Amino acid sequence: MNEPTAPRATIDWHTVRVGDAIPPMVLIMSPTRIVAGAIASRDFMPVHHDRAYANQQGAPNMFMNILSDTAYCSRFLTDWAGPDAMVKRLAIRLGVPAFPNHDITYTGKVTAVERDGDEGIVEVELQALNDLGEHVSGTATITLPLR
Amino acid sequence: MSGADLVERLAELVGRPISDTGPTIAPDPINQPMIRHWAAAFEDWNPVYTDAEAAAQSRFGGIVAPPLMLQTWTMATPLITGIAERGGSPTDVSRAAVLNLLDEAGFVGTLASNSEFEIVRYLHLGEMLTATTVLESVSDEKQTRLGAGHFVTWITTYTVDDEVVGRQLFRILKFRAGDESS
Repeated sequence: MNEPTAPRATIDWHTVRVGDAIPPMVLIMSPTRIVAGAIASRDFMPVHHDRAYANQQGAPNMFMNILSDTAYCSRFLTDWAGPDAMVKRLAIRLGVPAFPNHDITYTGKVTAVERDGDEGIVEVELQALNDLGEHVSGTATITLPLR
Repeated sequence: MSGADLVERLAELVGRPISDTGPTIAPDPINQPMIRHWAAAFEDWNPVYTDAEAAAQSRFGGIVAPPLMLQTWTMATPLITGIAERGGSPTDVSRAAVLNLLDEAGFVGTLASNSEFEIVRYLHLGEMLTATTVLESVSDEKQTRLGAGHFVTWITTYTVDDEVVGRQLFRILKFRAGDESS
């Protein structure tokens, strides 16, 4: 289990290479995590906090909302890239739901490295898996100040 | 309503704002308490969100809102009483016409499928965010693993004093629950 930690120092764009792996991020999935994310993102749909309601909708349990998914993708990127990284673009597609007790592992890798004036641009692809399959697949763009 | 009627009525809504009540103005400015609550919920300890000293030393020059918190600021303040009876709709008036139309046609299930953000710039404390959402498309009826349904896509433009600070494509599936056999 990896403890949440503050992002390390911002990575140096000059050292980033296509194919670099982003350090994996593991989420221990509990009802509390799902409810905390839904409410902090101001999404009060009962399927994200009420198991009985989710059952009525045909789901076996409450499941994570998409605003939490984009939040965790952002954290996954900046935990790696550091506090001076800027998330400029994030596009995700949802697959299997994220239920309690089905832990999720985020992985990703660098697909392109470019320079635009005094900014370094890094393109990544990312994926979040649980034991049911692919929960999230997506791509993102971050920028780094050049130094 | 026949299938052809539904397609026609859905087509009339495409390209138009999803709400008759105009753009959504965030009830509160970008603020530290909501950012701190968000950061704790997602265990995101990036110091530029909550540590004023560290944020001042960063490229942002001060505290910024988490970029993917963009959608949160203009989410409707919910009326908790009766929310389940309203199918999760936060208030009576907040529901988009396209969703009501699909509900009436039996596509009552809702599942998010895609979210795509372009972040033009990060937001600073005190800024007031406005969201303007237009219905981009409604798919023909598709067979999915959940049942028959329509994909609904809208595009939201986020502004501060008319300056565009971000854009979002959001796609949901409206489906007929328990319809796997069709």
